[in-house]
Amino acid sequence: MELLTLFFIVLIATGLGLLIQWLPMRHQPMPTYPQRAPFLGGGLPETHAWSRFHVRYYPMTLLLIAFEMEMMFMYPWAVVFVEQGMKAVMEMGMFLAILSVGIVYGWREGVFKWQ
Amino acid sequence: MAVSWLQRLAARAAVPVFPVRGMHGEEVLYRLALTPGIKLVDSPRHASILLVAGGVPPDQHDALRRVHDQLPGPFATLWYRSEPLDELAGATRLDDPDALPEALKTIHRELMSGKRGSSPRLLPDEPPNPWEGLGDDGHGGKGMMGGVPYGRPMAMNMTDDIRDGLTLDSLTVTLGPFLPMLPPGLTAEVTLQGDLIQSWTTHSAPYPIALESVFFQALQGPVPIAELERARARYHLKRLHFALRLAGLDRLALEALRLAFAPHPGQDRAMALRRRLVRCGFFRLTTTGRGRLDENQARRVGGIAARAPGLEEDLRSRDAAYRRLEFTPIIQGGADTNARWCQTLAEIEQALQLADQAERDAVHTQRSDGVETPRGPWHEQWPEEASDLLDDLLPGLEWDEAMSTLASLDLAPLSPWSLEETSGAPVPTSVEERRA
Repeated sequence: MELLTLFFIVLIATGLGLLIQWLPMRHQPMPTYPQRAPFLGGGLPETHAWSRFHVRYYPMTLLLIAFEMEMMFMYPWAVVFVEQGMKAVMEMGMFLAILSVGIVYGWREGVFKWQ
Repeated sequence: MAVSWLQRLAARAAVPVFPVRGMHGEEVLYRLALTPGIKLVDSPRHASILLVAGGVPPDQHDALRRVHDQLPGPFATLWYRSEPLDELAGATRLDDPDALPEALKTIHRELMSGKRGSSPRLLPDEPPNPWEGLGDDGHGGKGMMGGVPYGRPMAMNMTDDIRDGLTLDSLTVTLGPFLPMLPPGLTAEVTLQGDLIQSWTTHSAPYPIALESVFFQALQGPVPIAELERARARYHLKRLHFALRLAGLDRLALEALRLAFAPHPGQDRAMALRRRLVRCGFFRLTTTGRGRLDENQARRVGGIAARAPGLEEDLRSRDAAYRRLEFTPIIQGGADTNARWCQTLAEIEQALQLADQAERDAVHTQRSDGVETPRGPWHEQWPEEASDLLDDLLPGLEWDEAMSTLASLDLAPLSPWSLEETSGAPVPTSVEERRA
C-alpha cells in the first residue's frame, strides 16, 4: 500500500514538473542554430567544445584517500592484532602494499612537490 | 489575460540593451549607463534591443550578423550613427544622442506590447556544420578520437601545458570584435587549455579612441590647464569604469562614471573612490604580479604604462606653466597590472588637483609643440597602436589575469577626430564661460 502511495506521489510530482516546464514553452519555437552557437562577440569556435578536462586535485585526492584508509583500518587492526598475532600482521602487510601503489602513483604525478 | 499582464510588466521594466561598440560609439554608451530605465547587458541572450553604436567596418559585418542573430525573439535593432546592414534597410537609425534613451524605451514598449514585430533573422536556421553520423559512436569521425562532430574537430591535446605539466585538451576560438570584455574592434584567435591562455594571436586592432577637443587645441595654442586636466581625468575614469564592470563591481563602475561626468569633480571625490576601491578589494584582484611589461614595451605603450614602471616620460614637465603649479610626474616602480591601476588612480587625483589649482590662478599652457595625452606623448607623432604586444604578454596567464591585464593597458590608436566631432557629445564649457 505504501509503495503504491509512493508511486502515485512520484507520478504526480513528475507530471507536475513536466507540465510546469511545458506550459511556457508550448508556443515558443526552438532557438535558431545561430542563436544556439556560443557567444564569442562575433567570433567562431574552431574546435568542438567536447574537450577532456584534467581534474587538477585528483592526485591530491588519491593521496588523501590512501593515507585516510590506512589510518581508518589501522585502529581496529590494532585491537585485532592482540588476538590474531602474525596472521593480522600479514593481512596488514598486504593491505599496505596495495595502498602503497596509490602513493607511488601520486609520487610519480608530482604530488609531493610543493608548487 | 495572464500573458498580457506579464507583457505590461515586462514593458515597464528596465530596457535590456546589448551594445555593439562600433567606431566612436562608446561615449553615448557611457551616458546610457547612467540613464535610469536602461540596462546595458553583457550578452545578447539577455537583451531585447541590439544597439549598434558607431560605424562597423564592412569586413566585420559577418560578425555583426552573428551577434544580431543571437538575440532571443522578439527583439529590435537601433543604429546610432551607424549605417544599418543591407538586410535591415528599414531599421531605426538615430544620430541624436539626447533622443536615444527615449527611443530605446519606446521600442522596448512596442516590442513587449506586440505593436512592433521582431527584427528578421539574417542567417539561415541550419546547423553550421551538419551532423555526418559517421563512425562507430556516431561522433562524425572514425575510431574513438579524431572525429569532427558537427564539422568541428575535437579539441585535442596538441601542445604541452605551459603551466604545470598537467595537460588538457586545447580549445581554439576567435574572440571579438564585439566581445564586451575586449576593447571594441579587437579580434584575436585564442587557444585555451582550461583557463590558461596557451596562445593569443591578435587579428585586428581595436578601433581608434577619440580624445576631447582640448587636446587638439593644445597643439594650436594655449589652453586652460583646468580644462586639459579635467579631460584627462575623465578619460582615465572611463577606463576605470570599464575595468570595474569587468571585475563585477557595477556600483563602483557607475560611481567612477558619475565622477567623470560631474560638472566640477574634486580631488576629494577621487580620493573617496580610491578608498572604496581599496575596501572592495579591487587592487587585491591584481596583486599576482602578472602582465609585466619590459622597458621597451612600456615605452611603446606610453602614458600610464610607461610612468608606472618609473619612466618619467611626461611632456607636461617641459611646460613652464605646469612647473609653476609644481607638477612632477608620478611613478610607481612596478610594471605589472596592479602598478598600472595604482598609477591610474594617482594620475586621476593629480589631474583633478592640478585642475583646481589652475582654475584658481587661471593658468594656461605655454608650449604648443606637443601635448601629453592620456594615451601618451603626442608631439612629432601619435602614440602608436600596440595591440600586437598581447601576443607575447598574455600566453601563460589564466583567463582572469589576462582580462585584468588587458583592461589595464590602453593599446588602441588615437582617432584623428575629436570626441565632440565623433560622438555629438556637448563640448565641455571652458573656464572663462563657466566664470561668466
